[in-house]
Amino acid sequence: MQTDTPAVSTRGLTLSYGDFTALQPLDLDIGRGEIFGFLGHNGAGKTTTIRLLTTLMEPSGGTASVAGCDLAHNRIALRRAIGYLPENVRLYDTLTTRENLRFFAALSRIEDARDRVEEVMEFLGITDLADRRIATFSKGMRQRVGLAQAIVHRPQVLFLDEPTSGLDPMGVRQLREVLERLNGQGMTIFMNTHLLSEVARSCSSIGVLSHGQLVFHDTIETVNARYGSEEALEELYLSVVPDREVAA
Amino acid sequence: MPDLSAIPTIALKDARIALRDRFLLAATLALVAAALISLITGTVAMRTDVATYMAAKQQLLALGKSLGSIAAPEFYPLKLMRGTIEQIEIMGAVIALIAGYRAAVEERGRQTLALILTRPLSNWQFLAAKLLGGAGLMATALAFVFALCAVVLALGSGIGIGANDLLRLAITWGASTLYLSAIFAVGFGLSLWLKSPASGLLYAFALWLLVVLVAPQIGDTMDPDNQVAGGVFAQLSIPKAEQTRIKQGFATYETIRNGIEVSSVTKHYERFTFAVLGIKDIYTGKALGPIWADKKGDAWFLILFTLGLGGLVLLRPIRADRLTKET
Amino acid sequence: MTPSTILRRHALAALARERTIALVAALFAALVLVSAYLGWSATSTVDAIYASATHWFEANGKPVPSNPVTQGSPLALLRNLTIYISLIGAFSAIVIGYRMVETDRRAGVLPLIGARPLERLDYARGKVSALALAVGGLAALAGVVGAATLAILPSVHLGPGDWARLAAFFSLGWLYMMTFGLIAIGASARARSETVGLMVPTVVWLVLTFVWPALTGNILPTAAINPISALAPAPQSTIFDLSAMLLGPFSLAEAYKYLGAELMGYLPDGLPPRGAVPPLVVMMLFAAGSGLYALRGCLKLDMTKGGPDA
Repeated sequence: MQTDTPAVSTRGLTLSYGDFTALQPLDLDIGRGEIFGFLGHNGAGKTTTIRLLTTLMEPSGGTASVAGCDLAHNRIALRRAIGYLPENVRLYDTLTTRENLRFFAALSRIEDARDRVEEVMEFLGITDLADRRIATFSKGMRQRVGLAQAIVHRPQVLFLDEPTSGLDPMGVRQLREVLERLNGQGMTIFMNTHLLSEVARSCSSIGVLSHGQLVFHDTIETVNARYGSEEALEELYLSVVPDREVAA
Repeated sequence: MPDLSAIPTIALKDARIALRDRFLLAATLALVAAALISLITGTVAMRTDVATYMAAKQQLLALGKSLGSIAAPEFYPLKLMRGTIEQIEIMGAVIALIAGYRAAVEERGRQTLALILTRPLSNWQFLAAKLLGGAGLMATALAFVFALCAVVLALGSGIGIGANDLLRLAITWGASTLYLSAIFAVGFGLSLWLKSPASGLLYAFALWLLVVLVAPQIGDTMDPDNQVAGGVFAQLSIPKAEQTRIKQGFATYETIRNGIEVSSVTKHYERFTFAVLGIKDIYTGKALGPIWADKKGDAWFLILFTLGLGGLVLLRPIRADRLTKET
Repeated sequence: MTPSTILRRHALAALARERTIALVAALFAALVLVSAYLGWSATSTVDAIYASATHWFEANGKPVPSNPVTQGSPLALLRNLTIYISLIGAFSAIVIGYRMVETDRRAGVLPLIGARPLERLDYARGKVSALALAVGGLAALAGVVGAATLAILPSVHLGPGDWARLAAFFSLGWLYMMTFGLIAIGASARARSETVGLMVPTVVWLVLTFVWPALTGNILPTAAINPISALAPAPQSTIFDLSAMLLGPFSLAEAYKYLGAELMGYLPDGLPPRGAVPPLVVMMLFAAGSGLYALRGCLKLDMTKGGPDA
């Protein structure tokens, strides 16, 4: 695996169902160590893009690589290099936090699974939840365990699909802090979100998707330099995204 | 050589959940209860026969007559397993379907499937693990059933059971595990493939009705001997030789009837286990060698059917994008 | 239009569009046809065996016994219907009953219905009457196929009494299927999950069909799938006498098969019903009990829950 390649790179990545194109040919490069915010209206194709990049869906055309692993030919190695937190994560209700995490750690084939699980629980401040079953957890607690399973195997690229959805302001803040710490350790983060304020605060680069097409991609510095404020980011978003939603 | 460690990891996780899942425990207990009810009522019925025989014997001896005029009932404890086998055929199959459904629904639509499939393992390994977990579950539940049956037979039949009987019970346990694993695969596959897991369960039930009940039922009902209470030949008092001659005239009809019966895996399971346990009269007391020679076709059908179904589930690709959506 | 009428119409329209329901109904109709064929085929075979045996009796100078299949009623040709109604019919009713409430819950419309100016009783009435009509449709379908078969067969002649008995038989089938449909409505209204709503009535149905008869003396579960074997007398034993007395009144499937055989004229001579309670009373009590269960379920239905995660 080369470390000089982009963390995520796509060339003409497409997904179509018959006449309907869910994702127009996508060319995107995200550098290593970035926090990339992926914006777009409902049904724009953000989740589809994550599902394609995490091997959950097969593209209709184009190529992509994540952490230097080719999506078409090196899926197992790619899976080894990524972590994934879907929107509304649900884990095994009857298992405890520790059991859930050990299970996913084992599937990721890490050597020090037991120690690593304890380490991650401590990192995320959920050691007190270790022996409790998931069924009793609130949305915020589930989200933290969900994040734990996504990072337990020290992935190079972390994919998060609407990670702040349903979280209270405190939960959003805690998540931001955790992501910043992970990024500080060199992890690349690819995050779908609706929250412009979060993008402005955490991300180093952003992309805007509209009707399956990438309509904007640049660094946050450029955006700030060009638009100057958070309100301006909203203006940018509204200028590239149409005012009507499409069916998902 | 691919790393297969994911298979035991997932299978063990399933086992752990199954142990904590009260519903499945209740279902296993239901199978044990159904099997034991049939075994115990069968034992009571046999004891009634024995008591009737003993009373008649005493009466004849008191009258100074010979015992030749009454036939002694046969005492083969394993014959009492008939009801148990039939309960496994019917209730066991339902439990296996539900277990298969739960194995699918546990992952499907709750994002854990997405979490597993973004791990470094091939999709077939996930499916193999789920199937093996199901087979293990069926084997364990059935081991309980057969162990309890062995105890009841040893204590309740009044005759006891020997090593050969235990071997026959073990063979039947193996065949039952294969049978229920096949049904588990149907429940799992349909619940994974269809639009919603509940639709999968529904279709699995409809299939269960056709394969487990209707096909054998049609075969059974087409048997002329079952059309008249007590049997047509018995009611007409026709001697055995003449029965055989008359039956020869209905060879084509009998072939069709048999064809419908054997289209169902349940019938193959039943024929094999009824022979091994000596439930069917012509196999009562026979050694296992000749029984195998006679019934290996049924055994192979059962084995190949189970492996075939398992293979089908393994080979069909997982539509991860659809299955990970909330359903 | 009253709220319950609106709900009934809506429920029936939704049912009519469901592929699963159409499949189950088609399966039921196909099996009714199969049962008619089986009755005809098996009877002809026994006839042919009898003809063949007659030659042998005559050749050996023995008296020729009467033909066993002409001794019963011509309605007995359809005896397999009792089994199919107790298997596919009851299962179809469970699926219909289960979908009545579950469809609303999954669609997330329960809170929307709950916020409308109608009583829970209206909801219950609407759903139960829709079930009654849907199951009535199934029974009518079976009735038409059965009646057509009997009308077409050349050797079968039915009198007005026979037609009346046939109508009574299908009404009985409707009542039997309704019982399970009502249990399904009650269970899906009360259940916390979609699966439990389907499983509870299915388990009740399985136990009543395959386990309960074993306790009252019909030892082999597969006897439940043969109309003749289902009517076997219990072994002569104090235990079975006692179990029949205690458990017989709860043996719904046996009560239905007994009454069905009586109406269709294939009940073995002198066979008593299980337990001291007359089978029709058993069926009525079960139907009333399940009706109350469905009503209670609908009255206590949590209208706040809805959507795919409910």
